[in-house]
Amino acid sequence: MKDVRRLLALVFASLVTLPLYAQTPRNGGELVFPVPSEPPSYDGHREETFGLIHPIAPFYNTLLRVDPNDKSGTKAYPSIAESWTESADGKTYTFKIRRGVKFHDGSDLTARDVKASYDKIIFPPPGVGSTRKGQYADVEKVEAPDAATVVFRLKEKSGSFIASLLSPYNFIYKADILAKDPHWYEKNIMGTGPFTFVEHVKGSHVVGKKNPNYWDKGKPHLDSFRAIFMSSSSAQVAAVRGERAHIQFRGFTPKDRDTLKEALGNKITVQESPWDCILLVAINHEKKPFDDKRVRRALTLALDRHTGSKALSQIAIVKEVAGVQVPGTPFATPPEELNKLAGYWTDAEKSRAEARKLLKEAGVPEGFQFTFKNRGIPMPYEPLGVWMIDQWRRVGLNVKQEVIEAAAYFGVIRKGDFEAAMDFQCGYIVEPDLDMYKFTSTSRNPANYGRYSDPVLDKLYDEQSRETNVEKRKQLVRQFEKRVLDEEAHYLMTLQWHRIIPHSSKLHGWTVTPSHYLNNTLDTVWLSE
Amino acid sequence: MGIYILKRLLAMIPTLLGVAVLIFVLLRVVPGDVVEARFLTQGSQFQSQELMDIERKKLGLDQPLWKQFTTWMGGVLRLDFGLSMWTGSPITQEIKLRFALSLQLALMASLIAQLLAIPLGILAALKQDTWVDYVIRVFSIAGLATPSFWLGILMILTMLIVFKWVPPMVFTPLWVDPWQNLQQLIWPALAVGYRYSAVGTRMMRSAMLEVLREDYIRTARAKGLWLKLILARHALKNAILPVLTVMSLEFAFLLGGLVVTEQVFNLNGLGMLFVEAIAHRDYTLTQALVMLVATFFLFVNFFVDIAYAWIDPRIRYR
Amino acid sequence: MPGSTPASATVELARAERPRWLAAVGDFVRRRPLGAIGAAIILVMVVLAATAGWIAPYDPLETDYAAMIAAPNAAHWLGTDAFGRDVLSRIIYGSRTALLVGLGAATLGATFGSLIGVASAYFGGRVDLIVQRIMDVFFAFPVIILALAVVAVLGTGAGNVILAIATPMVPRCARVVRSSALAVREMPYVDAARASGFRHGRIILRHMLPNVMAPILIMATAFLGEAILLEASLSFLGLGVQEPTAAWGLMLRGAAVEFAETAPWMAIFPGLAISLAVFGFNLFGDSLRDALDPRLRTQ
Repeated sequence: MKDVRRLLALVFASLVTLPLYAQTPRNGGELVFPVPSEPPSYDGHREETFGLIHPIAPFYNTLLRVDPNDKSGTKAYPSIAESWTESADGKTYTFKIRRGVKFHDGSDLTARDVKASYDKIIFPPPGVGSTRKGQYADVEKVEAPDAATVVFRLKEKSGSFIASLLSPYNFIYKADILAKDPHWYEKNIMGTGPFTFVEHVKGSHVVGKKNPNYWDKGKPHLDSFRAIFMSSSSAQVAAVRGERAHIQFRGFTPKDRDTLKEALGNKITVQESPWDCILLVAINHEKKPFDDKRVRRALTLALDRHTGSKALSQIAIVKEVAGVQVPGTPFATPPEELNKLAGYWTDAEKSRAEARKLLKEAGVPEGFQFTFKNRGIPMPYEPLGVWMIDQWRRVGLNVKQEVIEAAAYFGVIRKGDFEAAMDFQCGYIVEPDLDMYKFTSTSRNPANYGRYSDPVLDKLYDEQSRETNVEKRKQLVRQFEKRVLDEEAHYLMTLQWHRIIPHSSKLHGWTVTPSHYLNNTLDTVWLSE
Repeated sequence: MGIYILKRLLAMIPTLLGVAVLIFVLLRVVPGDVVEARFLTQGSQFQSQELMDIERKKLGLDQPLWKQFTTWMGGVLRLDFGLSMWTGSPITQEIKLRFALSLQLALMASLIAQLLAIPLGILAALKQDTWVDYVIRVFSIAGLATPSFWLGILMILTMLIVFKWVPPMVFTPLWVDPWQNLQQLIWPALAVGYRYSAVGTRMMRSAMLEVLREDYIRTARAKGLWLKLILARHALKNAILPVLTVMSLEFAFLLGGLVVTEQVFNLNGLGMLFVEAIAHRDYTLTQALVMLVATFFLFVNFFVDIAYAWIDPRIRYR
Repeated sequence: MPGSTPASATVELARAERPRWLAAVGDFVRRRPLGAIGAAIILVMVVLAATAGWIAPYDPLETDYAAMIAAPNAAHWLGTDAFGRDVLSRIIYGSRTALLVGLGAATLGATFGSLIGVASAYFGGRVDLIVQRIMDVFFAFPVIILALAVVAVLGTGAGNVILAIATPMVPRCARVVRSSALAVREMPYVDAARASGFRHGRIILRHMLPNVMAPILIMATAFLGEAILLEASLSFLGLGVQEPTAAWGLMLRGAAVEFAETAPWMAIFPGLAISLAVFGFNLFGDSLRDALDPRLRTQ
């Protein structure tokens, strides 16, 4: 009898501890995921689309990466650089390069390769071009004094320099190849990443297999991955629903999530996060009456963002009420403070009354008509457009919508041929320098379509950019936010996009972040049975 | 006869040239180009004018317009349609698979249309002004009236709700897996085919009616059923020609008109390619597609004309 | 009429035509019930469009975020859409957009097409050949691609959509009218008019055009149906009329398809409206053609 009980206890104990065993990553399996668009070239230094990152990032490493377990996607983490130090004056950053990193052709990676790659990004030779060159305007020089050290010398100290190195696009290429042909990497792939390139069948798929000599021992866990190009979102949902794909790394709509949950129950795990993409309203300060800040403030006061959030999050990929930073990230303004800004009040009636009052003061008649230009992309431009026009109607503004085809859109907006127009911003990482750059004066930043000049705002931007003390920087960011969204209402934020990733419950080791460009090297991902 | 054929062939050339010029000009008039579509659409905070200029140069977009046109035309004459401006792949490759899908869909729709139109049209004519006639006319006009994309949505809904079945989403060509292929294409073929049968039904009905008015047929009808059947077959032979003409012409239209249907059924066909190419401002691809459809259309017209001329010699001498 | 001058012969012919038309209307309803049904549907549509302001229970733009995607109920007979807007009201107001775009495009297309067709037939020879080639070029363009291109150049919105839809209709109308006009050109009164030295424009407008009215009218009614369908397709693709205007094709976009499984009313009713409208125009046009085409008279 006692033996039976002991046996039962043993069985019971092992059953209870079994789940613990299940948490150790299992090696093996092929990860399959659809990618909505195909990359025009393989060179991360030129492209801006996630269509490059999703299938190609696993073949490369960057100097630094974001911490794969951090939900805010903002913490720096070692990759090719093992560690780094910052000089006292903040103008010199020294990185210690890891030993034992090998390119897929067998050669060793040294600091020279890092320098050559960053020279290409920051100081591209003529005829080569680099998309993100503008982000490194502060960098004076990149040096590789020895095989294991890379030094960045800046002209000014910067609070965002490390964040700029976290860009998933900054693939580290081989110096020798770049010296021979700087265009080589546009059509070829050869990196140090956790996966080696197997094939790319245009219009169909990309396959990568496990790099047996990867420097991070024990990784990757997967044997291979297969990225399938599918432009139709319903085909992507069907692939996940039919368990032919494990995950789609960009995001699905709320309805898709509900459909998948209903169809697959526990076989689906949903990870959600606010998304570092937002639609904003650019107001043309050169057109009357929008040069009057009372009119602009009225426009933002009219938008009941809190009700809008509840309603639109059911039918569109938007949700969070946000200021200039994604909620939940280090520099985001907490809700109690945010709700004091114009347009963020919880009392919608009071807000609308204030809007009407301002319009009257500014001499805008009841039923005043203007045209709102929107981009011809269904999600979430259309629902947001309908919502805003509806909100503006409630304060007596008669707004007509003109939709312009996506490819022609920015040409029209850049020319200033609009009164109010939908603008859009997507970042690879949440960083005030990146997210707030748009609002600086048009004279220094042509991507500011609002056509205004605000030296106070510019000064605040520069100050926070140079500030390396986090708390002091937060204060400066808040001041900037208050001026751009409330006092001057230069630009209007709509609602933060909301990233919904329903994925197979067999998939582990991947954490959602606000950026659909991050965490795509797939080295930490593993599949359970 | 030979001279007529030659004349018709030569007549196609200025038309094709006209189409080429029209699409070339139209595309350049439309605002935005492929470089803008590629670099300004991701919402990134960085735009490098330098990079965009380099790309433009690479694609030959900095050349004067007349030079771009002659380069393109020169390629076409050598049957080299160039590379897609968006993907960089040869255009023939981009089009191949999609063409197979659209062609198959058009053929299936056409077949369904004819299987419906001819018997229904004949029946309606024979039973003119009876309730049979009315029902058939209502049925066929409903086909013309129902937007095929809405019909498609309803079909998918019904499949989903009643049969719990989702059509396969990845296209398998007919020669790889015919059953899978048919499963995917039968529904859009029905949606489109129903609509095109409407045109044929009415045509068949009026053609039959016209022939049935002929004196010899009327006499035979007065004489009794048996003769009526024999002569109905005879009447049919005369009536069918205009019907087949119209249906062939409609078929030529089909290839270019599948845009919305493909959208609804998620088919990666020529229609979708068209929409994507225009959205990306992929000049070379759009131009090639338009030329393809126009050429196809003109050739179908050509064959119909030849067939007519062969049957009715008077036409050759006009 | 032997002995009369050519000008008065035309006048007499025209006068003789008028009473016949009025009597024909009554005949029409009796003998062609399908056509009468079509006419009735069109009439209902016109009435709805005209009285939308009084009939519609809600403002088509009025949102209600507390009642999003509500199933048909007492408050909203056909349910609400993704923004809580009443589907019934939007369908009623949508008839305005459909008629506006349909009539506008059909009128524009038929007018230009007829003028070109008649002029081409009248002048004949070289002019005819060149015009035919040009029409062929437009003809060879797939309809929806031409419409897409026009929208891409001009932009979206009701006005541009009318132009976009009318454009592919012009060559089709021109072709049909041209063949009728060719027959009319040989008529004695046209010859007489030419002999009298009337200007070309006058002959085309006052002598030839009225006599090809029958095929033009038939084409126009067919075009109306086509135009409504094409507008729906363009709006469905996002290239036509834009939110928040109530338009049937627009109502079928986005949430209607996405939520179709759980909320089918958003997709079913607008599609039904489109089908009924085009159905009506086609029934009517069909019977009109039967009535006007002398070869198909059952008498």
